[in-house]
Amino acid sequence: MEQSQLDDCVDATELEKMLLQNNSRPIVLIKRKPACRLPQNLAPGINRLGVMLPSSPLQYLLCRYFRKPLVATSGNISGEPIITDNKDATKRLANLCDAFLHHDRAIVRPADDPVISYNNSSPQILRTGRGSTPTEYRLPVTLDTPVLAVGGHIKNTIALAWRDRMVISAHNGDLGSLRSQQTFKQAINDLQQLYQVTAEHIICDAHPGYGSTQWAGESGLTVSKVFHHHAHASSLAVEYRHDKSWLVFAWDGVGMGVDGSLWGGETFFGRPGNWQRVASLNTFALPGGDKTSRGAWRVAASLCWQADVDYVVPASNAVDSLKLQQLKMIWQRKMNCPESSAAGRLFSAAAALVGLVQNETYEGHGPMLLEALAETTQAEAIILPMILDGNNVLRIDWKPLIMMLSDTTLPVAFRARCVHETLAECISRIAVQYSEQHNDLLIGLSGGVFQNQLLVQLVRQRLHTQDLDVVIPSSIPVNDGGLCAGQIIEYYFQ
Amino acid sequence: MTDLITLAHGNGGKHMRRLIEDIFARHLANELLNINRDAILLPEQNAQLMTTVDGFTVQPIIFPGGNIGSLCVHGTVNDLAVSGAVPKFLTLGAIIEEGLSFDVLNKVVKSLAQTANQCGVHIVCGDTKVVPHGQGSELYFTTTGIGYKSAVVDYSTRLIQPGDKILVSGSIGDHGAAIMLAREQFGLSGDLQSDSASVIPFCQSIYNLKEIRFMRDPTRGGIASVLHEINQATGIGIQINEASVPIRNEVTTICEMLGYEPYYLANEGRVVAVVDANVAEHVLATWKNLPNGHQACIIGEMTEQHQEVVLQTALGGERIVHQLSDDPLPRIC
Repeated sequence: MEQSQLDDCVDATELEKMLLQNNSRPIVLIKRKPACRLPQNLAPGINRLGVMLPSSPLQYLLCRYFRKPLVATSGNISGEPIITDNKDATKRLANLCDAFLHHDRAIVRPADDPVISYNNSSPQILRTGRGSTPTEYRLPVTLDTPVLAVGGHIKNTIALAWRDRMVISAHNGDLGSLRSQQTFKQAINDLQQLYQVTAEHIICDAHPGYGSTQWAGESGLTVSKVFHHHAHASSLAVEYRHDKSWLVFAWDGVGMGVDGSLWGGETFFGRPGNWQRVASLNTFALPGGDKTSRGAWRVAASLCWQADVDYVVPASNAVDSLKLQQLKMIWQRKMNCPESSAAGRLFSAAAALVGLVQNETYEGHGPMLLEALAETTQAEAIILPMILDGNNVLRIDWKPLIMMLSDTTLPVAFRARCVHETLAECISRIAVQYSEQHNDLLIGLSGGVFQNQLLVQLVRQRLHTQDLDVVIPSSIPVNDGGLCAGQIIEYYFQ
Repeated sequence: MTDLITLAHGNGGKHMRRLIEDIFARHLANELLNINRDAILLPEQNAQLMTTVDGFTVQPIIFPGGNIGSLCVHGTVNDLAVSGAVPKFLTLGAIIEEGLSFDVLNKVVKSLAQTANQCGVHIVCGDTKVVPHGQGSELYFTTTGIGYKSAVVDYSTRLIQPGDKILVSGSIGDHGAAIMLAREQFGLSGDLQSDSASVIPFCQSIYNLKEIRFMRDPTRGGIASVLHEINQATGIGIQINEASVPIRNEVTTICEMLGYEPYYLANEGRVVAVVDANVAEHVLATWKNLPNGHQACIIGEMTEQHQEVVLQTALGGERIVHQLSDDPLPRIC
């Protein structure tokens, strides 16, 4: 939209307005105005809109003559990179659109629009992209040989690092798709060519099934593996100190843990290269494996059954009783039911339990609806029990949360808020405890869960009352797009 | 009560003799089988011999659409058939766990005999062992197959070219899904049956075509594993059109619920063939006319566009089909 239309739609702060005008013309997530006249089915249930000012001459012309905000989506098939060839677009997007407006200038290097949000007045990059990539960073250390970190499997980005320099590629997408994998390989070649640096060593995630890990194995170069959540934790050391003790909360969906199980709600004490897992969520089953990434109801049911509560699907026809019965059988017999401590899945389950969504249609769908709803009310935190397990890991017991979420006598928004307050309280209690034991401790948040602005704000408020500060990646994506940077730091210190 | 197999049935004495005579020899009798000899002479034939061996450990041993007896015939004759040989003889090794009921063994061996008959093969020799309770899983069979080469082509992945078409003779994943259902009482109503069957008619119907490159029966690991095997051997990309792969609704439902993909589920009565594009339609028509062949389809082709095994989805997306790993862990963060 044009700048003059902003105030009709969103409540942009001065900082957000400035960011919108940045040369890279990013998409900025801004609070939607209640009176906004854009259709309600635009980002339904979410109280922010991704807003962008025109960036190319063509977009300027379109906006000038249309004179109203335009709703845009990227020219791709779900999970794949944007299509850059006119012929390809005409063929592959024919079912999705009525007309094509082509440009006669070829696209050599595809790049998505960058996505940024403000988190407590500091910008937070959610997706790298056009106008800002390859992004260069000064490393806090000096490498002997050039290395390439190939990142994760979804929201893939890669990083090339040599001496004290590191460059991060644009967003390559989900490596399960052929085209993303082609873009990923092109990015690997492009970065090395552009900077005239040839990587001599590869760093990848420890998950054997990731497309990036498989590429690393076939690269012919020596490979180091970095565990997913160690990389999330170490990504903080690009922007903040690496030589002090940290307490990092690495919360996201699932990633391969050191013990071979699926981690995702971890707390580490230590520093890059030497992370000690000190706290984690009690594990729960993910019936159907990857199906749980869009099937919030599966996780909700699994958590309920583990807590000895019935899962009553809230007024919704998305899940029938036969399906629930079948899921229970799978859960009881542990068929494709990997155990996980993933905090991201807990948020999804909460969204299902309060009836917001059973089958999510995009990543983070449930947690985003839950966050939006939670912003509308207040609630007190529940104090979750934490018990040291045999490996000296403090285990957070989420069962009281499930009891609260299943209590239909409580208003839905109250329950949504209570989840946020409870988990923020849980984080802050662990942080306070460690800060009392360790002077000068840095407290960090990393991983996709902390795209949740309310959660971050509640943690920050609690810690501020204790005179503690908390940091979060800002110029490096807090989600899996930041893994490659963390992989490089973690590799150096290992 | 002599209803159960005991260790005495494996000790070489009279109990064992009875077991062999009353069950194995009775059902499997044919002009070549002689239980009193250690080895037998096979009839001379003016053709090249092909041989293969396979072990069978399926659980449960009786499942919707078949049992371990029918399976141990189909599995081995199918290996010969896809290699271009008409199966003629089988040898049978049986390892029985103490405590198996005579009735069950009788039923399974009877079915084995009927299946062999239908496939036109003779069981020419056999061996029986009984293992103590707890050291086996009811019943294991091993069959060796011998056949005469009959195809005009020496099928090999080396013959495969870009542009070749890939066919499958029927719906995929039925066996794997049926076994899961039988094992787990999934509560899925429906009549899903294993596809356990001989593929001899499908293979034999195209032995005369010199344009056939390669055939394989996609058993364990499903069609995904066969496609990966072809991809790795040839280095040529494979493009599969998701919409054209025949999959039964029941199989889709169970996979959807469990988070499995039908491409990785076992089949016991299907053939995947790679053929010259010029004969693809002809092969398809031939197969469709065979009993059980109505679901045969051209599912994709060998391509130079990329070097992966790629599934083109109904929405036009192109998804990489990964190789089956030992322990498929969720990847989505």
